Amino acid sequence: MHTDATTLPNGAVIEGDLCIVGAGASGITIARELNNSRLKVILLEGGGFDFDQKMQDLYRGEIVGQPYFPLQAAALHYFGGTTNHWAGWCATYEPIDFEKRDWVPHSGWPITRADLDPYYTRAAPILDIVPNKWDAAQWKNGDSERVPLISDSKLMWTKMWQFSPPTRMGQKYRAEIVNSPNVHLYTNANVVEVEANESVSAVQSVRIRGFDGKEYRARAKRFVLCCHSIQNARLLLASNRQAKAGLGNDNDVVGRYFMEHFEMPCAELALTRPESTGTKLYEFVKLGGTPRGEIAVTPAAQREQRILHGTCSLEAGNYGDPVLSTFQFLDTATMNQQRAWEKAGRKGEPPSTKPSEPPRTKGAPRFYHLSTRQEQAPNPDSRVSLSAEKDALGMPRAKLDWRVTDLDKHSMRTFYHLLGREMGRTDTGRVQIRDWLLSDDKTWPSFISGGWHHMGTLRMGTDPKQSVTDPNCRVHGISNLYIGGAAVYPTAGAVNPTLTLVALSLRLADHLKAST
Amino acid sequence: MNLDRRHFLQLSALGIVGTLTDIACSGRRDRPLDQPFLIATLGPDRVRELGARYRAQTPAENTADALRAALRNRGGLFAKSLDEMVEDDFAAGRVVLVDGWVLSLTEARQAALFSFNRA
Repeated sequence: MHTDATTLPNGAVIEGDLCIVGAGASGITIARELNNSRLKVILLEGGGFDFDQKMQDLYRGEIVGQPYFPLQAAALHYFGGTTNHWAGWCATYEPIDFEKRDWVPHSGWPITRADLDPYYTRAAPILDIVPNKWDAAQWKNGDSERVPLISDSKLMWTKMWQFSPPTRMGQKYRAEIVNSPNVHLYTNANVVEVEANESVSAVQSVRIRGFDGKEYRARAKRFVLCCHSIQNARLLLASNRQAKAGLGNDNDVVGRYFMEHFEMPCAELALTRPESTGTKLYEFVKLGGTPRGEIAVTPAAQREQRILHGTCSLEAGNYGDPVLSTFQFLDTATMNQQRAWEKAGRKGEPPSTKPSEPPRTKGAPRFYHLSTRQEQAPNPDSRVSLSAEKDALGMPRAKLDWRVTDLDKHSMRTFYHLLGREMGRTDTGRVQIRDWLLSDDKTWPSFISGGWHHMGTLRMGTDPKQSVTDPNCRVHGISNLYIGGAAVYPTAGAVNPTLTLVALSLRLADHLKAST
Repeated sequence: MNLDRRHFLQLSALGIVGTLTDIACSGRRDRPLDQPFLIATLGPDRVRELGARYRAQTPAENTADALRAALRNRGGLFAKSLDEMVEDDFAAGRVVLVDGWVLSLTEARQAALFSFNRA
């Protein structure tokens, strides 16, 4: 079922068993899992079925701290959420990502990778990738050149990525949701407040407001906030009529520990024997293309060196080429071109998402640009709070104060030291670390970049003083409020968050079904 | 001439090592000490520049004699080829950063020796 919320009368009340706020990767996944169940599910989506600048502007926010990409361009606000423009990169988090590491302050998930394994298996087909196929040897594809650059190493290994087409969940699962007998989708239903009972121990309703000033409420037995990490935190902080610091924020943790993945050019690789060194395993072919490897630091080396988890990609090029960070090469104009191309049915060649490359010398390339993908250390001072400015619905905008730590840069530099050693030991090549990375641990370049991966802000844990949600993603102290999405990640892992986000959403859906 | 360790030991037994030390230490590729294999990867100009930078950042090794001595002391006359020394350096973490390049100590010294040669 589907209703455009703008057609509801002012003061209308929607009632159900479960109310999901946000129809992106997490919300759609949970709703689909509950499709055809006994539960009456309300799915509230702030946007419509297509991009709308007015709606998108609700995501605009204030940026302080480290420079960041405009928030209104980093996540999408319509049915399908940010899967409407994601690039489809999928990889699993590693077991060490879930562990408490004594050299990484505030690390440690209350669940293990083994807990998530069955959900990774189930998440794969949802995103149109192959389940349980993550070893480089499984993607050789009969090609002798698709082999790891470094084998038999205690320091480095090859981490594999699969590429979703990318699955646009809003398109792929729209009919299933709209035709569901028990899931009722409301579009243009922007939630501006979560309303608790008098003792603030349970949520009673969410307040919805339209641009026309009309207000509605959704009441349910249980609620799941499935907006993205910044918006989920913003919504709880802005729900401050009954709890002054915001809902679920008795211990001032809501909004803290905002995390990104660093995606920045860090080094160059010169191959010793380019003609006989296979690098095909590391080639990025195109969106949705052949799985690709990245060189990653082993858990043993992370422990020994006391560094964060990171990988690096290889891209053939000329020595001295300018290389851009993720935030630099994909600007909002390019993203709009990509969106228009998809809207037109993906006809013809997709618009380039990279600047034109300088002509290469003939023969097998000797030089490769190495770009980092690395977790950042959880940092309570890296946070989302409320801006003094309000959006068109009267809700305080988000204020992002992205902060990084010495360990972040130290880890990145150590990674390339180790990689340089292994490339030299195996005589595969030599590594040159870029100047900016060789300076002190505190100085960051102007092109500091994430990957539009918003994580943390409502982290999962067992101690309410250190976390917002429990291991089942339920907000501490509020009996019927859950969080879906990457906001609950205590640490960021080295790889993109979407696959893990869908896996966690499946786990949450199972919990909701089991506890009905 | 392909001087591997077996040949080297044979020549040593014949007492003609002294004249060949520079070559012997360079291992199977019969390169002299001041011809690092790195040249094939990075080119002579860049290696020369790296060598000059290494000398600047390591004043105690800013003469050809000091560099030769350091290389011979490291390798040991009957120990390992330069290739093996380079590999061992990387494995053991005996690396130096020169202009951001992660180099083995041995090849950095070779580059420094090479930098004394005119272009």
